[in-house]
Amino acid sequence: MAEYQLIIIGGGLSGIAAGIRAARFGVKTLLLEQHTIPGGLNSYYFRQGKILETGLHAMTNYAAAGNKRAPLNVLFRQLKLSRKLFATHEQVGSEIRFPDASLLFSNDPLLLEQEVAGAFPESVDRFIALKKSIAAYDPFTVQPWKSARTFLSHALENPLLEEMLLLPLMVYGNPEEHDMDMGQFVIMFRSVFEEGFFRPGGTIREFLTMLLDQFKSFGGEIRYRALVKEIYREQGKVKGIQLADGEILTADAVLSTVGMPETIKLSGWDIPQQAYGGRMSFMETVSLVDEKAREGLDSSATILFYNKKSQLHYQRPTTFLDLSWGVICFPDNFQGLEKEECFQIRNTNAANYALWKAATPAEYTTLKQQWTHAAISNAEDVIGPYSENVIYQDSFTPLTVERFTRKAEGAIYGSPLKIRDGKTPWPNLFIAGTDQGYLGIVGAMLSGVTVINQHILS
Amino acid sequence: MTREEIKDVILEIIEDIDEEAEFDNLDADAPLRDQLDLDSMDFLDIVMELRKRYQLQIPEDEYPELATLTSCVNYLEPKLKDA
Repeated sequence: MAEYQLIIIGGGLSGIAAGIRAARFGVKTLLLEQHTIPGGLNSYYFRQGKILETGLHAMTNYAAAGNKRAPLNVLFRQLKLSRKLFATHEQVGSEIRFPDASLLFSNDPLLLEQEVAGAFPESVDRFIALKKSIAAYDPFTVQPWKSARTFLSHALENPLLEEMLLLPLMVYGNPEEHDMDMGQFVIMFRSVFEEGFFRPGGTIREFLTMLLDQFKSFGGEIRYRALVKEIYREQGKVKGIQLADGEILTADAVLSTVGMPETIKLSGWDIPQQAYGGRMSFMETVSLVDEKAREGLDSSATILFYNKKSQLHYQRPTTFLDLSWGVICFPDNFQGLEKEECFQIRNTNAANYALWKAATPAEYTTLKQQWTHAAISNAEDVIGPYSENVIYQDSFTPLTVERFTRKAEGAIYGSPLKIRDGKTPWPNLFIAGTDQGYLGIVGAMLSGVTVINQHILS
Repeated sequence: MTREEIKDVILEIIEDIDEEAEFDNLDADAPLRDQLDLDSMDFLDIVMELRKRYQLQIPEDEYPELATLTSCVNYLEPKLKDA
């Protein structure tokens, strides 16, 4: 008999959600995390006595308690967590800023509609019609790839509005360059423009603790510093995993949340890895800024999506960073958060993994400093000066992301090809998380839940 | 278990699954799904909870037997008579 009924590789949000779901119904489950802290992409670390979050700018899919069909609330029911006791802080409001137009949006979808009416009066009827077709679209039935750009250009006949709407949706959840799958576009449109941004009360650390407490209360086990070296197979079935230190653990089923490229490597899966390599990765620069810098700073938005050109070039740049467009997030600008003596500014820009990877360790350090400086001064062009008031600053490159999340090439949204059914050539090895298909924190967790429901509980 | 006890178990399971479930005005002969706004994922939870508590295996093609409170009781009565 195997030691576990289920081994989950990866203590990120999809793995933890999968674990809670399985353990809740008595499946003997072991969760393996390579690091000492859980969370994967959405984790945290301490510097100068302060907790800093990685990944999370905001959670998407805001829904008030009581709206039973909303993804966030479905998720809470599935994990047997109380939505009523879960404190949330909604965004103050966000902005999409292009050279010739700006659109504000909040968790009230009417604001965006009014903004479109103000900036593009000739297009507002088409925008309203577009929202109706999005509401009627079923993104959860597996369909062949369809271009969101083609759909948008017919629906809106307004290239600038199309680019502006695509910016937040792509940068928060598109693994492909240039264009986006229609189903993914619909999911993102609803998550961002109709449900909206919020953050959990406290930090991601408390959120992770809440989830892991739930997992453990159902009898789930977690092991840290447990790097999986191989998913081992025998006679066409998966038998278990081997850890980097040689230890073997057996299981009736294995769920991998480490992405397709890594899963292919670990399992010796005989398919070309290349098709599953995402090309979109980012550098993030976090600055803790003295409150006195607020004056004269354009820092009222929760998230500012900017583009210095009128077209969006959503692609891996040819230089280390693409400074022509990006995201500036103010994580303190959520409703009901207390003001502190300093606040955070987070800058995100598309990055070229290959260039970062090619650097020697010495070059890497210098490059990171140079490009951090460039990213901050670029953000200052957009929101005003703050670099002189930076108290603490840190940057994550695509290499940092790859190291901590195990996502190949630091591609945070994973593979452009998704494994929607979560299946592999082995009857008892499954895929969940980013490469199964749903994105964002709520999406990743629903992925873990869905795959367990379909393959382990049924 | 008596029919009344089975009914209580079902309601208790639903309450456990959904903290917002309201049973006032519940019609025992109308679909639970519509009245309580449950989705297919919630339904799976009822099945899983019955399996966990009573080691009951309910095959997928028999899920429709759980549509209303009365049909649940009818379906479960023979299965839980010794429970």
